[in-house]
Amino acid sequence: MVFKVFFPLCCASAESGLLIGRWIPEQNSVVILAVIHFPLIPGQVKQYLSKMQHATQVQLSVLGSWTNSKEKQSLERFLEDLGTIFSQGPWIQLSRGKGSKFWNCFATWKESSSSDVEEIIVVYYDQRKVMLSQLHPLNKCVVSSDQTAADASKLAAVFDTVAKSKLLFMKDRYDEGPIQLTHWQSEGVEASIIIELLKQVSVPACVLITFLLSLVSGVCKSRALTFWPLSFIWSKLSTCEQLRHRFQHFQIISNEKAAPDQTQLMRKANIFVSLLIDVALGILLMSWLYQKNWTGYLASALVPVADHIAQQLQNLLQWLMGVPAGLKMNRDLDQVLGRFFLYHIHLWISYIHLMSPFIEKILWYVGLSACLGLTVALSILSDIIALLTFHIYCFYVYGARLYCFKIYGLSSLWRLFRGKKWNVLRQRVDSCSYDLDQLFIGTLLFTILLFLLPTTALYYLVFTLLRLLVVLVQGVIHLLVDLINSLPFYSVVLRLCRDYRLASGVKFRVLEQEAGKPLRLLMQINPLTYGRVVQTYRLPTYSCYPKDSWASLCKKLFVGELIYPWKHKEEKQD
Amino acid sequence: MARNILCVRLEHTTRQRWQKVLYKRQSFPDNYVDQSFLEKLRKNVHARKYQYWAVVFESGVVIQQLCSVCVFVVIWWYMDMGLLAPQWLFGAGLISSLIGYVLFDAIDSGIERNQSGQTRWGDLKNSVVFVAFTYGFSPVLKTLTESISTDTIYAMSALMLLGHLIFYDYGANAAIVSSTLSLNMAIFASVCLASRLPRSLHAFIMVTFAIQIFALWPMLQKKLKAQTPHCYMIITLLFALSALMGLLTISIVGTVLFALLLIAISCLCPYCLIRLQLFKDNIHGPWDEAEIKEDLSKFLM
Repeated sequence: MVFKVFFPLCCASAESGLLIGRWIPEQNSVVILAVIHFPLIPGQVKQYLSKMQHATQVQLSVLGSWTNSKEKQSLERFLEDLGTIFSQGPWIQLSRGKGSKFWNCFATWKESSSSDVEEIIVVYYDQRKVMLSQLHPLNKCVVSSDQTAADASKLAAVFDTVAKSKLLFMKDRYDEGPIQLTHWQSEGVEASIIIELLKQVSVPACVLITFLLSLVSGVCKSRALTFWPLSFIWSKLSTCEQLRHRFQHFQIISNEKAAPDQTQLMRKANIFVSLLIDVALGILLMSWLYQKNWTGYLASALVPVADHIAQQLQNLLQWLMGVPAGLKMNRDLDQVLGRFFLYHIHLWISYIHLMSPFIEKILWYVGLSACLGLTVALSILSDIIALLTFHIYCFYVYGARLYCFKIYGLSSLWRLFRGKKWNVLRQRVDSCSYDLDQLFIGTLLFTILLFLLPTTALYYLVFTLLRLLVVLVQGVIHLLVDLINSLPFYSVVLRLCRDYRLASGVKFRVLEQEAGKPLRLLMQINPLTYGRVVQTYRLPTYSCYPKDSWASLCKKLFVGELIYPWKHKEEKQD
Repeated sequence: MARNILCVRLEHTTRQRWQKVLYKRQSFPDNYVDQSFLEKLRKNVHARKYQYWAVVFESGVVIQQLCSVCVFVVIWWYMDMGLLAPQWLFGAGLISSLIGYVLFDAIDSGIERNQSGQTRWGDLKNSVVFVAFTYGFSPVLKTLTESISTDTIYAMSALMLLGHLIFYDYGANAAIVSSTLSLNMAIFASVCLASRLPRSLHAFIMVTFAIQIFALWPMLQKKLKAQTPHCYMIITLLFALSALMGLLTISIVGTVLFALLLIAISCLCPYCLIRLQLFKDNIHGPWDEAEIKEDLSKFLM
């Protein structure tokens, strides 16, 4: 049996005294938390321990004695006697030799039954780091066997013990009491005063923000803004989605109740930092926009660009109305479709020219929204793109509807052609006897649809490609917004600067090893990898990820079902 | 062989008779049979004795359908060449349809009409639907295949007409027969061919004619064959002759080949069938026969 003693590094220079800590019998190990210096009265120590135990919820007990070499060596008898007063489990006698690197360690048991000779390992740990660090259990897939899982739970017990005994650790040096402990923590008191002040200030600020938010949400939920056409438009605009998302973030942050656990705390901090960074980037963008009147420049460039796109589309349609790529299409249908789409473009251009005097003003005001954050500005950009390419969307819808109609018609008429029909109740194809007139009209329509299909399919193909291009651009913007929304900045920075705070495990370094003396190990904390940090603390976002795969997307494209970017935003980027 | 001897010996020793039952435990191996087993053997149970002229009469359906296709193609050729005015064809089709309609009821003096519950009003509605739809779609049909090569259209029509002949319901009880598919293929072919004609009126008349010859004419034929077989024979002969005459004005070689085909189907094929019937050797007995009951229609999906 190996007997492990976890010993805090800061106690190595302590004066002689009693070791207090927790005895974990299942693991056969002892976690030492503090040293009580020697002039002591056993009754007071017991009282103090029971008080501490009540406050920290940790099974504290006196575990042994600690002898620093500066003291006289004549105490051995006395130390053994102490064991009879306080012992509950093992009694450890740790002593540090003068000038020697090696420590002596003896463990004796009250019950002689379990006193088989054991090997003792002394593990040093940095109490402050272990207390502050958050141990992340391994993923399910990483845990390969029960053994590693058991090890992880043992480690978790040690970490838990240390983290709970914060009260023993955070002692002021000048706190005079009947019991003298090794620990004190007086560094950074000034900063903690500021933090305390901030905490005090933040409560009324939170209350104010909550009040404002409830006011805003009340306005948003009012009936004037939620009747049918408006609510439909709100749900389609990505700016509204983003604003709603940010609104929820504000609600989470301004909640004056303290976060119940570490995860919630991290989540709050992440949201806060992400919000700050977002707004900072937005203000940077805004300052750049208004510094050299970029909005005016953009506005003047927008109309020619729209004209150019329309011209390109007209050329494309002219090409389609001829003999595109040498394909032989039905001339009459081709002409009809081409003229229909050309008229649409004409309408669109007149609309843009009607709008052109106001575009600069609109852009100027839209630019102001960047102070709400970069993500909001990006969402508005995405919406503007959607509005400016509305004609392409219309073409796509017309083409897809026509194509879809043809495909469905052809599939059902093909069944009629073979003398079958689709049985809805049984979900299968049954044979059916049709009348003569049904057969005749069905076949006539089938022939006509079949010969007209290539023309429609070509128009559908071209407009679908255009649509996919627009969706791709929008998808990139949304991906960027999603990145800013979901990246846990606070956790990443924490991992960068205080890597012990996010622990994934520990590693042991051998300090000294010599026969007859206990093995001494130094426990160091393994920080979490960046990938796992992002994975663990990723903030949830509103954009629903697509459930259908590439195959189903292709099938939808083939059948001619409409593909909406706001439902399957990231589909094109994966 | 050794096992049989053993079984025979077993039979002798135990004095048990083998019985062809499964519910008793017998002292014979599972695959044992005795001499009485082959007594049940029968040969050519379902073989039928055909009369030559009866078979020739039955082959009239095939002749009729071949001639229908031939007449349709010939008429289309006339229209395409401009030798036949569409009005004439329409008039002739109308008159023959009316005669056929009267005949259709006159043959069985309206018994079937009463049984099926088909009304004059329904017939009128059907014919109006045919004419109206065909007339309405004829401009579309005219320009439908403009950009497609003529050879493609010909090949497609030929395939469709061949399919029509293959899937037609000649009265055989086979899985491949599908009168719906056959009719649809014929209409498809007629629409393809009609789209090559010079004007939309031509297309309209052509498709109407296709309905008459592919949908209505076989119905009348079936009734004629059932009620007045002699009349049916004469009509078949006349129809075949008129088809041959029409083909003669286009190509002599084609006529000769088509005539040979008709003769082969109506005279040579029945003779072959009867001769080959003699070689039939089909055994039936008290065993489970392996029958192939494959549904061919699922290959046609």
